[in-house]
Amino acid sequence: MKIKPKQYAISLFESLEGKNKKETEEIIEKFVQVLVENNQASQIEKIISYFSNLWGKENGLVEAEIISSRKLDNKIVKLLNDYIVKLSDAKKVNIEEKVDPGIIGGVVIKYGDKIMDGSLKTEIRDFKRVITN
Amino acid sequence: MSTTKDFIVEQLKAQISNYKSKIEEKTFGKVIEVGDGIAKISGLSDVMMSEMLEFKTEKGSVFGVALNLEEDTVGAIILGQYEGIKEGDEVLSLKRILEVPVGEEVIGRVINPLGQAIDGKEEIKTEKNYPIEKVAPGVITREPVTVPVQTGIKAIDSMIPIGRGQRELIIGDRQIGKTAIAIDTIINQKGQNMKCIYVAIGQKESKIANIVAKLTEAGAMEYTTVVLAGASDPASLSYIAPYAGCAMAEYFLDKGEDVLIIYDDLSKHAVAYREISLLLRRPPGREAYPGDVFYLHSRLLERACRLNKDYGGGSITALPIIETQAGDVSAYIPTNVISITDGQIYLEPDLFYQGKRPAVNAGLSVSRVGSAAQTKAMKKVAGKMRLEAAQYRELAAFAQFGSDLDEETQAKLHRGERIVEIFKQDQYVPMSMADQVVIFLSTIQGLLDNVPVEKITEFEKNVIEYVNDRGVEIIKNINQTGELNDEIAEKLKKIINDYKDTLDYLIKKEEVKE
Repeated sequence: MKIKPKQYAISLFESLEGKNKKETEEIIEKFVQVLVENNQASQIEKIISYFSNLWGKENGLVEAEIISSRKLDNKIVKLLNDYIVKLSDAKKVNIEEKVDPGIIGGVVIKYGDKIMDGSLKTEIRDFKRVITN
Repeated sequence: MSTTKDFIVEQLKAQISNYKSKIEEKTFGKVIEVGDGIAKISGLSDVMMSEMLEFKTEKGSVFGVALNLEEDTVGAIILGQYEGIKEGDEVLSLKRILEVPVGEEVIGRVINPLGQAIDGKEEIKTEKNYPIEKVAPGVITREPVTVPVQTGIKAIDSMIPIGRGQRELIIGDRQIGKTAIAIDTIINQKGQNMKCIYVAIGQKESKIANIVAKLTEAGAMEYTTVVLAGASDPASLSYIAPYAGCAMAEYFLDKGEDVLIIYDDLSKHAVAYREISLLLRRPPGREAYPGDVFYLHSRLLERACRLNKDYGGGSITALPIIETQAGDVSAYIPTNVISITDGQIYLEPDLFYQGKRPAVNAGLSVSRVGSAAQTKAMKKVAGKMRLEAAQYRELAAFAQFGSDLDEETQAKLHRGERIVEIFKQDQYVPMSMADQVVIFLSTIQGLLDNVPVEKITEFEKNVIEYVNDRGVEIIKNINQTGELNDEIAEKLKKIINDYKDTLDYLIKKEEVKE
C-alpha cells in the first residue's frame, strides 16, 4: 500500500514526542533513510508542510503575517502580537512582517487561515460602494 | 437649483457621518491546484457547502462555489474565467450561499445564471436576492393541479393537457421541434397571467438570439426572462443555470403568481454536472454520471408546485426538455427524468419527416394530471378526439395489409385521416382555446367527413375566420367561461354548416356515416 505524505508526517511526529535533541537527530536521520528506501524522497516538501502544521497545533504555535504600508515600530508589533495571541488562543505567534505600499495605510493581519483586512485601500473601496449606491 | 444641491450635500453628509468602518474576520485559503474550471484550495477551515468564494487574481476578482469539503482541501467550481487564477492565489470565503438577484427587473431581459445582464442593456439592480438552492415546498403547502396551461398547440391541449404546477417533460431527438413547442407555449401565454422563464443550458448563442428575436416580435418578452448559459461558458455556469432560473421563478411564486419555466435542456445539464463531478474526482457510475445525478434533477423539478390559498396560491409549471440519442428513451438520464416528471411529450423522428408537425407521438405521450387540467369545453370535445385518434392508430397499422374492410372500419380510418390532419400545426401560430374547441367540435360531429383530406388545412383556417366573424359572442364566451353547453354547440354547428354551404370542393357522393 502506498503511504501518504500525511501518514509519514504523523508517524514522524509521534515518534519524536518526548525525545531529547540527540534522539531527535537520530530519528530524523532514520526517517530520511526510510523515505529514500521507499522512493518517497520527492514527497519531502509535503511531509514537512504537514509536519509543521501538526507541530504548530500541538505546541500552540501560530504563523501570522502583518502587512502594512510602511515599516512598523516594535511597540506596535508587540501590541499586534498580543492581539493575535488573544484572537487565536495560541501560546506563541511567529510574526512575519511585510511592507506593501499598495494598501495605502492601515494594516492587514493574517493568522492561520483567518484574515482581517484593516487596510485603507479596502476601506476606501467599501466607502465608495456605500456612497455610490 | 441651490436647494437640490443643498439636499444632495446634506444627504452626503449624513451618509459620511453614518458610515462606520468595520473590520471583519474572514477565512481565507490558498489555491493548491487549478484547471478545467475547478480549483483545489487549502485552508478555508469553516467554509459551508455551496458557499460563495472570491478568488483574488491580478486581473480582479473571480467568484466560485465550494462543492467538495474534504479533510485538508476544498474543491470549488469557478464561475467565470479561470485563466487568470494561479497556484498560491488567495481565496476568501464570503459567508453566504450562492444567490441570484430576483425581482420584476429581470423580466424582458437576457441574463446569465449569475443574474448579470448579457443583452447590452442597463445593469440589473434588484432589492432581493434568493439562494439558488432551496428546499421544495412541502406537502401541506400544496394543492392538486386544476388550472390549465394553454400551450396553443392542438395536439397537446387536447390529448396531453398540462396544468399549472405540473412538470411535463418534452423528449425527443435533436432537431425535431422540442424547443419549438416550448417557444410556442411561451408565445401563447400572452394575456394569460403567466410569467415565463426560459433557461438555456449549453445552447448555441445564435439559437438564443433567434429565439429572443421571435419572442420580441410576438410581444412575448414583456413577460419573459431568458437565462442563458451558452455553449462557450464553463460547465459551472451550465450547472447552476436551472437552479438560478428556478430561484427567479420562486420570487413570483412567493407573490402568488403563476410561472412557466422551461429548462432547455436537462441532458446538457447532466453532462455539465458529470464534467464537474469527474474533475472533482467523485466516483463515476453508470454512463460515467455521478451517483447523485438523479437527485440533481429531482430536487430541481420538485420545486415546481402549485401552492394552496393559504400559501399564496401561486404555481411553477416546469417544462424540462431532454434530448435523446437515436430515439433511445431507455438511456440513463431520460429514464430518470421520465420517472420524476408528471408525464412526457414524446416527439418522434418518423412523424416529423412525414410532415406531421408537431411530431407528437400520441401513444407514448402521457400527462399524469390528465383531464383535471382541461377546461370543461375542451374536456367535452377532446375526450372523443383522443379515443378516435387512438383507434385510428391501431387500425391504420392493421389496415395496411388488407383492402377488404367493413364500412365501420372504413369510417374510422376516414375520420382518423382527418384527425391527423387537424393535429398538424405550423410553428409560431398558437391557437386560442375557443378556436381549438370549434375545430375539434366539427371533427367529432362529423362535419369534416366530407371535406377532402388535402383541403383540411385550408378549411380549418377559413372556418375559424368565419366563426370568429359570425359568432364573436360565442367565441368570447367560450374563452372566458371555458364552458360549452349543448345550446352553444348547436349554434356553432349551424355556423360551421353555413360556411360549408359556400364551398364547392366537398365530397358529394360518398356520404360517410357517423
